[in-house]
Amino acid sequence: MKPEDLKNNKDYKYGFTTDVENVRSPKGLSEETIRFISNIKKEPKWMLEWRLKAFNRLKVLKEPDWQKPKYPKIDYQNLYYYSAPKSASEKPKSLDEIDPKILETYKKLGIPLVEQKRLNGIAVDAVFDSVSVATTFKDELTKKGIIFCSISEAIQKHPDLVKKYLGSVIPLSDHYFATLNSAVFTDGSFVYIPPNTKCPMELSTYFRINASETGQFERTLIIADKGSYVSYLEGCTAPMRDENQLHAANVELVALDDAEIKYSTVQNWYPGDEKGVGGIYNFVTKRGACRGKNSKISWTQVETGSAITWKYPSCILQGDNSVGEFYSIAITNNFQKADTGTKMIHLGKNTKSKIISKGISAGNADNMYRGLVEIKNKAINSRNYTQCDSLLMSNKCGAHTIPYIKNNNATSTIEHEATTTKINEEQLYYCNQRGLDQEEAVSLIVNGFCKEVLQQLPMEFAVEAQKLVAISLEGSVG
Amino acid sequence: MKQNYDFKIDKIKDLTSEEISLRKKNLDLFYQTGFPNKKDEDWKFSDLNSILSNNFNKIANNDFLPREKEFKIIDEFEHNFISLFNGKLISKDFPYEEKNKILINNFNYKDGLALDSKNSLYLLNNALATGGFSLEISKNYKLKKPLVVYNNFSNSLKEKIVNYKNSIILNENSELNIINYINNSSKENFMVNILENINIKKDSSLNNILINNSKCNCYFYKYIKSDLEKNSNFKNYLLSSGLKFNKLDIEINLNEENSNSSVFSALNLINKEHQEIKTRINHNASNCNSYQKVKNVLNDESKGVYQGKIFVKNIAQKTDAYQLSKALILNDAAEFDAKPELEIYADDVKCSHGSTSGSIDLNSIHYLKSRGIPENEAYQMLINGFLSEILEKLPEGKIKNFLKEKLERQINGY
Repeated sequence: MKPEDLKNNKDYKYGFTTDVENVRSPKGLSEETIRFISNIKKEPKWMLEWRLKAFNRLKVLKEPDWQKPKYPKIDYQNLYYYSAPKSASEKPKSLDEIDPKILETYKKLGIPLVEQKRLNGIAVDAVFDSVSVATTFKDELTKKGIIFCSISEAIQKHPDLVKKYLGSVIPLSDHYFATLNSAVFTDGSFVYIPPNTKCPMELSTYFRINASETGQFERTLIIADKGSYVSYLEGCTAPMRDENQLHAANVELVALDDAEIKYSTVQNWYPGDEKGVGGIYNFVTKRGACRGKNSKISWTQVETGSAITWKYPSCILQGDNSVGEFYSIAITNNFQKADTGTKMIHLGKNTKSKIISKGISAGNADNMYRGLVEIKNKAINSRNYTQCDSLLMSNKCGAHTIPYIKNNNATSTIEHEATTTKINEEQLYYCNQRGLDQEEAVSLIVNGFCKEVLQQLPMEFAVEAQKLVAISLEGSVG
Repeated sequence: MKQNYDFKIDKIKDLTSEEISLRKKNLDLFYQTGFPNKKDEDWKFSDLNSILSNNFNKIANNDFLPREKEFKIIDEFEHNFISLFNGKLISKDFPYEEKNKILINNFNYKDGLALDSKNSLYLLNNALATGGFSLEISKNYKLKKPLVVYNNFSNSLKEKIVNYKNSIILNENSELNIINYINNSSKENFMVNILENINIKKDSSLNNILINNSKCNCYFYKYIKSDLEKNSNFKNYLLSSGLKFNKLDIEINLNEENSNSSVFSALNLINKEHQEIKTRINHNASNCNSYQKVKNVLNDESKGVYQGKIFVKNIAQKTDAYQLSKALILNDAAEFDAKPELEIYADDVKCSHGSTSGSIDLNSIHYLKSRGIPENEAYQMLINGFLSEILEKLPEGKIKNFLKEKLERQINGY
């Protein structure tokens, strides 16, 4: 596809690629590839050993096959596991040194790196392909003792923290994609909030898939020490691609006593075209552990992109009185497929969890909520509330709900409700009557349907998310 | 517990060589997987294999039929009856009906031994089933009195498995109320595996009640497959408390428009009882309704499971489907698991489900106590109120009273 065509392609606003010379790992998945990645990142020996351990485990694991969206077999030997923008080999010290082409990309994405950085008050750790090339606002964060850097940097500079927490929430041998990530992860973010510190700004990372045939294997680790608070934003956009790209990230959150982590995602990877050709496979493992007393982890996600979205951001409520929350909007159009939901595992006393999930399905898409709420025997006086609503916008799409509910104790309460309906004709008619065209009306109604989740997003994200909801459903109601 | 199976097809009499080879094929397929375990998605919450290995030393298929075939007839209301002993059809009596309108026979095993099934109990049934009945109601005939099917099991079934199949056909515009009455009070562990095929033709209506007479160490599995035609009705009331293990696997196919189905269940489980209600409602045509309400009270170390699935095909517009499961957990060792599933491909539908589990409302207990009612009675009152709600939809009459009284006995102890 020529660049001119891409510019004219309004269906995917963020569909452009940047011409940057790449350093690539050898093709395929092998010990050699892992050693290459570890070597190029100048990792210490223990990290390489950790990766190899994961790789050995991977050899005996099988890809899961219980999921609803089926996909063609992925040829893991035909992928590049590492590619970095060339300029990364000489790390830039300020924004001026950064490859102007990369800066151009950020501008198109609307990342407030240059002009808007102070206005928005966001420190951006922009991940371009696999290496963090710029980290801003570091000074202010450093003053408070907050560590916000790429995971590769953290492995070098804070090995104790990484050693202690990496793999403590998602173990090496968890499941196929998580283990794959542990073996070959290239970069990602690392956040550490020291005790009794409130992170003064929302931390944010923009991921972009750029090099063709490169699976993205991000690894994020966020640790909120006692009494601290952090809000983390993750947003994704990806350029136009024809072949499917695999994205298997791992995100681990650890909240200690009285700490709170808020993790928000807006995911808009390339969903494939109207005929279902291309698009990203988004197979992400996200898990948070409320380790300490009175800790809280809140996941908010707006999933509009990807050919297949397959993820379950989960909370393990270990500490007494800990709280887990999950707010989700999943929109699937055309031939997109989503199998998403959450797991809330109550282990501590008086733990609470809340799940609000909104699924919207249009075109030929398939949208699935799958979740687990498990209250173990010792988690006395625990509570869960779950609500999953689905909206169907055509008779070729599907909406499914599979909740697993396990209550193993007499003092805990679980409530679950789910509904599936189509978009209300009367509401549409009412809007039309007042001069809104069909698409505006749908956008208004759907945004209303999703309100409970959108409200949870930080301001900047909420605006973008609302627009995304509208764009994702264009042309879905005839 | 594979090494302890003692299944012999040659115990079964009067089989043609063709039948024997088909049954052997089924048995071989069963041996490949054995009894279902928790790796099987449908048995995730009820690991039958481990339950059986903990309670049975070995298991053999039954060929025993007692000489004395006496049983106690329900005298609370007038009824027709069929009586089965260890699965074998022994006697029938339809004093209130026109004789030529009702066709009742031994189940015909010449057909219906399908091989393709993922359910290993289905295969085992195909391999070992004997006895059972087939019942057909003529066109435009409405039975005046209910039909009680006495499922009697003798006391000498220690470590045996009883397999049989039933078939029920309701022809156009007919009506039938069935009460499946499980009658056994032995202390021995035994297993029952029943497959039942129900065909409800146009404008017909079937009420299917399952109730257990007393506590028994029976490990019960029943698979009901039903197909509904236009304007038909199928209602299920499940009151099987008292069985040691029970899994009722109900498949309802709403194949033509305007058909209705419902499943109501009230269970009060004690000790280590483990009961599961699994439903699969397939909405294959438009304008059909389905309604499910499953209520469990869990005492001691009991476990209740509800797995319900509503499937709505893309042509099944105007579907109205509802699922509700509620559980009261009264002991920390008790457990309730639910998996209420929706799989929907049509857009103009109304589908919802709800599931709650929790403890009894202590404020209500306090209210009753403050009015002079002792605590245990207060609990019983609230449990009774909670469970008997599912009988509400039944028409007033002797049957309802009978069921209410049975339910009360189940709650207050046999």
